[in-house]
Amino acid sequence: MILAHLRLRRRVSLLAAGLALGRERDQVLAHLELCARCRSDYEGLRAVVAAIQRDPLRSAEPPLSASVLAARVLHQLERAEAPARRPRYWLAALPVAAAALAALFLAPSVVERLRPEPRVARAPIPPAEPNTLLSEDALARIERNLAREQAARYLNEAGEVLVTVAATGVDCDRKDDRLDMGEATERSRELLERRRLVVDSGEAVASAQGVFDDVELALRQVAELPACVKRHDVELVQKDVEARQLLMRIRLMQRELEG
Amino acid sequence: MGAEGGADDRELMERLARGDREALTPLVDRHQRRLYRIAVGYLREREDALDVVQEAFVKVFQAASRWDGSADAGPWLSRVTVNLSIDRWRRNKRRGQTFSPLAEGDHLDVLADHRPAPDRGVLGRESGERLAVALRALPERQRAVVVLRHYQELSLEEIATTLGMSLGTVKSSLHRALHRMRDTLTEAKP
Repeated sequence: MILAHLRLRRRVSLLAAGLALGRERDQVLAHLELCARCRSDYEGLRAVVAAIQRDPLRSAEPPLSASVLAARVLHQLERAEAPARRPRYWLAALPVAAAALAALFLAPSVVERLRPEPRVARAPIPPAEPNTLLSEDALARIERNLAREQAARYLNEAGEVLVTVAATGVDCDRKDDRLDMGEATERSRELLERRRLVVDSGEAVASAQGVFDDVELALRQVAELPACVKRHDVELVQKDVEARQLLMRIRLMQRELEG
Repeated sequence: MGAEGGADDRELMERLARGDREALTPLVDRHQRRLYRIAVGYLREREDALDVVQEAFVKVFQAASRWDGSADAGPWLSRVTVNLSIDRWRRNKRRGQTFSPLAEGDHLDVLADHRPAPDRGVLGRESGERLAVALRALPERQRAVVVLRHYQELSLEEIATTLGMSLGTVKSSLHRALHRMRDTLTEAKP
């Protein structure tokens, strides 16, 4: 009996966990008929399993939809990759442009100083070669890249605010089922104020106009929310963002703008 | 593991490995509920669980090209989630935000601490809190075995595959965990 008890002790736990089947199960059940200690063990363990099975967390639903969570994941990946992935070519071009500018202003006087005095007569000065680094095209390119870089940054920040709203789960008043908006409202207002500077960059960001408009709408909704807001109101914003697939579009446009 | 693995997962993982970001949403859709329940069962904190699941998918994306295509993706995802849950648990513990696993005989001290548990609002009952205390009192791996068995209904073999343990270790872990939980719950009874 004692040997059987020792041998079957672990199997009693497995039976309680719903893991003993067939012959093993029959064997343990037969032993429980004879052994009061194992029976008491079994009942105690069954009570534990029953308590776990009543735990509401077993059927907890994730608070975000798959598309919002995927957008958050991609956002996190992009932020992690950003310094390595986003070489700022225009930054590399700036010293060259600065050097060229300096050359433009300094060159005539330097050339003038270095030029030997004419012994007989001054030779006619050849027409200056066009400075390709400072061509209007190059300057326009730098300006365009700057505008697109700025627009991408703006969309990135707007995306962060909307992701925060999508994930808001901190209660500020449990009784009324209200959520704490944290800094999302304030940041939305700041972004709306900055919007014109970014959007009015003309042709450089023309392709982003549709996304800018939807981002503005979403930011306005967030900006109008109080700091402690009814869950339902947040859900409306979340649904709107989701219906417009805004997070995904922001991400794609950001990538396009970054080239 | 059939339902959670299979050709669809393989195809999605292959697309991720090629850098196809569009493959992420269907993969999240297939697995996030399951992974969230593992994390929330382990950590008993919804916010932390959500962070862990997000982090798990980030890791999956980053490691997709190194994924061994001969194995199912489901257990691999579960293992990543369990490991991240353990990491998060340790980090919270260092910050003093959670209870530590207890040595034998220490349960009464912790149970005498009547601060509301973080998941009070979720469970809303004293029994729920006692269960949370009993789960928190388990050593890390034992708790993972209990969560995979009783929150995911995995078989012993599936738990062994997921956690990279032998079948015997899984059985003895479950046996010890249930006994320990029974003791904690009995002592905690009002």
